[in-house]
Amino acid sequence: MSATMAPTGDDLQQIAEQVWASYLDTDGEKPLVPLPPDKLSRDVVAGVAVSGAWHGLVLVSCSTAASKEAAAALLGMGADEVTVGDIDDALGELANVIGGNVKSLLPEPCTLGLPEVHNNADNDPWLEGDEICRFEATWMGEPMEVSVLEKPQGGETA
Amino acid sequence: MKILIADDSRVMRQIVTRTLRQAGYDGLELIEAEDGAQLVQKANDEKPDLVLSDWNMPNMTGIEAIRALRASGNNTPFGFVTSEGTQEMRDTASAAGALFLIAKPFTAETFKENLDSILG
Repeated sequence: MSATMAPTGDDLQQIAEQVWASYLDTDGEKPLVPLPPDKLSRDVVAGVAVSGAWHGLVLVSCSTAASKEAAAALLGMGADEVTVGDIDDALGELANVIGGNVKSLLPEPCTLGLPEVHNNADNDPWLEGDEICRFEATWMGEPMEVSVLEKPQGGETA
Repeated sequence: MKILIADDSRVMRQIVTRTLRQAGYDGLELIEAEDGAQLVQKANDEKPDLVLSDWNMPNMTGIEAIRALRASGNNTPFGFVTSEGTQEMRDTASAAGALFLIAKPFTAETFKENLDSILG
């Protein structure tokens, strides 16, 4: 991959801030703060695989509390009302939207897979890869991270 | 006006519904499909005035769905609402007969720009 085609942390920040402004912070009261959280969390990891001229993953990782707040904001309900299914759908869709935007920065042609949500991220083979870039933030006091992982050409991305 | 919203994500179907309301379109009858196969079935059975469809869906993708509709002579106005907005995808969508492609994340203003000529 040429250096000009590689997405950067700044790209991820710009994409994430657009997504938050459109869907998660529509009233401007729940901003995504581009500050590394005190402690990273991978309680919930949502990702989309990219395959083709480039192979890898675009991931959104956060704490359980942040995942509930995200689902609540997207669905217009209280965080105490959301179900596990709501959380999987919401985080998967966040990964899908961010992944679609990251894909435009990657070599063509590539195909975006369907989103997957993984709750036990440690030692999960689907989530292995070389990190290309990362954007860490704090949202509603909770950790949120967007990252791009590259897999070896022809590597397992499904 | 009857609008068919096709997206495998319930969250996104709800956001599209909310955005239509924020864009000022009132009195719409909204129906939903969870994939391209349901889209084709409901576009034929329920005869919507417009289809708003995701691209990437299980069972049948949005682009496969519009091609299936057009091949069977169904010319329902069709627009994509998708996370990918590359020129290549816009060209592919247009060649298949889609009126527009709205890239996520979108705003109510984006909806108005694309939908006013149809719903306004």
